[in-house]
Amino acid sequence: MQPVRRLEAVWFMRVPQMRRALLWILVLALGFFLLMPLLTLVLWAFADVWRYPSLLPQMYSLKWWNWVFHNGNLGKSALWSFTTAPVVVLLAWVICLPAAYAFSRLNFPGKRFFFVALLAADSFPRFGIYISVATLFFQWGLIGNYWGVVLVQLINVIVTMTWIPTAGFDGVPRELEEAARDSGANPLQVFWRVTLPLALPSILVASILAFLSAFDEAQGTLVVGAPDITTLPVLMYSLVANYPEPVGAVFSILLSIPNLLLLIFARRILLSGYLAAGFGVR
Amino acid sequence: MKNSWREALIGLCLAALPVAAMFVLVVLPAFEGLRFSLGYVPGDNPAYSTGSHLVTSSTPTLEVYRTLLSSPFVQADLRLTLTVTLFTVLLILLVGYSLALLVRFGPGRLGAAVRSLYLIPMFVPVVIAAYAFITLYGSRGWLDALLHHVGIGYRSPIYGIPGIVMGLVWSHLPFATLLLGSGLDALPEEQVEAARDSGAGFLSILWRIILPLNLTPTMIVAAFSGISVLGSYTVPALLGPNAPQMVGVAMEQYFGAYRQPQGAVALAMITFALAAAIGALYVWGISRTRRHG
Repeated sequence: MQPVRRLEAVWFMRVPQMRRALLWILVLALGFFLLMPLLTLVLWAFADVWRYPSLLPQMYSLKWWNWVFHNGNLGKSALWSFTTAPVVVLLAWVICLPAAYAFSRLNFPGKRFFFVALLAADSFPRFGIYISVATLFFQWGLIGNYWGVVLVQLINVIVTMTWIPTAGFDGVPRELEEAARDSGANPLQVFWRVTLPLALPSILVASILAFLSAFDEAQGTLVVGAPDITTLPVLMYSLVANYPEPVGAVFSILLSIPNLLLLIFARRILLSGYLAAGFGVR
Repeated sequence: MKNSWREALIGLCLAALPVAAMFVLVVLPAFEGLRFSLGYVPGDNPAYSTGSHLVTSSTPTLEVYRTLLSSPFVQADLRLTLTVTLFTVLLILLVGYSLALLVRFGPGRLGAAVRSLYLIPMFVPVVIAAYAFITLYGSRGWLDALLHHVGIGYRSPIYGIPGIVMGLVWSHLPFATLLLGSGLDALPEEQVEAARDSGAGFLSILWRIILPLNLTPTMIVAAFSGISVLGSYTVPALLGPNAPQMVGVAMEQYFGAYRQPQGAVALAMITFALAAAIGALYVWGISRTRRHG
């Protein structure tokens, strides 16, 4: 074992006040790193004139909000975003949740292989897939098509929607199911009344992550959906490149609002360990 | 024994759904891409057959890979990608652990505050995060202005490697902290208490008890972030230098700007090989903690 070397600076750590100060510096630095980019963006969204090196805008206005709201593309893109992402989640439920139950509760050959194979497929670099998928979709008439976009966004959520609920079903105590069965419930009733409600939090966590991933997806959507289907993140790419700072900032805030509402709603459940269980922690 | 047959059949049918979806949407396209990168150019696929610098061969050839890997530009791209991945993963672990430890062991109010903050990046679309980074850290951005008032010179890191690393760390933090934090929650409280009672300092508790017991989550976070960073696109497309590039961006350039789909697909294959190596590490890591099947 390596002897612990006593450095000169150690005395510093022995003084409680110093230690507390160090802790607070660390926290402030982390807070700055996490939040400051977003705060700057909020300032930009309300700035009319903001010249370097002023720390705050010289003049505020809402004119860029007006501009963004009167840009016809916003409504169209929002519509595409909110009609694709939720459908991706629904489709993922249909495809993945029965499988999650099977992975957790049934014995069948190749179980572990299939479970891990999902991850193997998932680690293929996205853009390589999108190029090839686009040529397949072209043959199937799915380019510039609503379902093409849904399918391309689905790629990123399959593993999440299978793995996390599998851990959720794993976490339902078998004794509870057996007790329900002993008191006369049939297997289907046991599933609906006992198993599913107890696994629901993990399904919710997976759904939140799936929604975020689908909502955030831009690269595949651009490749498959162009030119007709532009979701909000796709529009954001062109706005960032072609318009002054406030436009991107206003748009960013608009694009973040639904997600931040989701965050407030989902915070507790996300913090309760279902995500970690899905990825094999514990 | 009839029952176990039925169970196996139902299990296979249910599990087949996501596996089939993955097969059609990922494995099949990846296989098509692999054949294409080996010189087989399908005539009925205009996206492939109209590319420039096509290598066409009736037998598999590694010509595309040879050309690609001998290019100094691609070599620089790969070096940059590996450097960024390494530093990003290390920083994600470092910052993720700091946050997770603050939540677990920090004084009450502080822990709660950190807990409500660190999830935020998960809910902010990556393209917005990258954009926000430019407004804060860019040349003549807010930080530049602040340091100007204090009288410190500032050179923006945003269009260099540190810019990419910072952006990627930011966007991967919630996932990492959640997983590391869950691992810490599972630590036996008594062991930490006992060590503390016997006078061990925080650092030695961290090094001797917490890190060894939390090895699995650490490996999982490293593997998943590593794979995700390797193929990342949005952050390195908006931040970082114009050249060399991360492979994710290089792929897009090969496909779009250079009109060389074969090169793009071959780059994807190379990246996949790297990701698969990390993935193997992950599978080895979880097979030690949990047995499925």
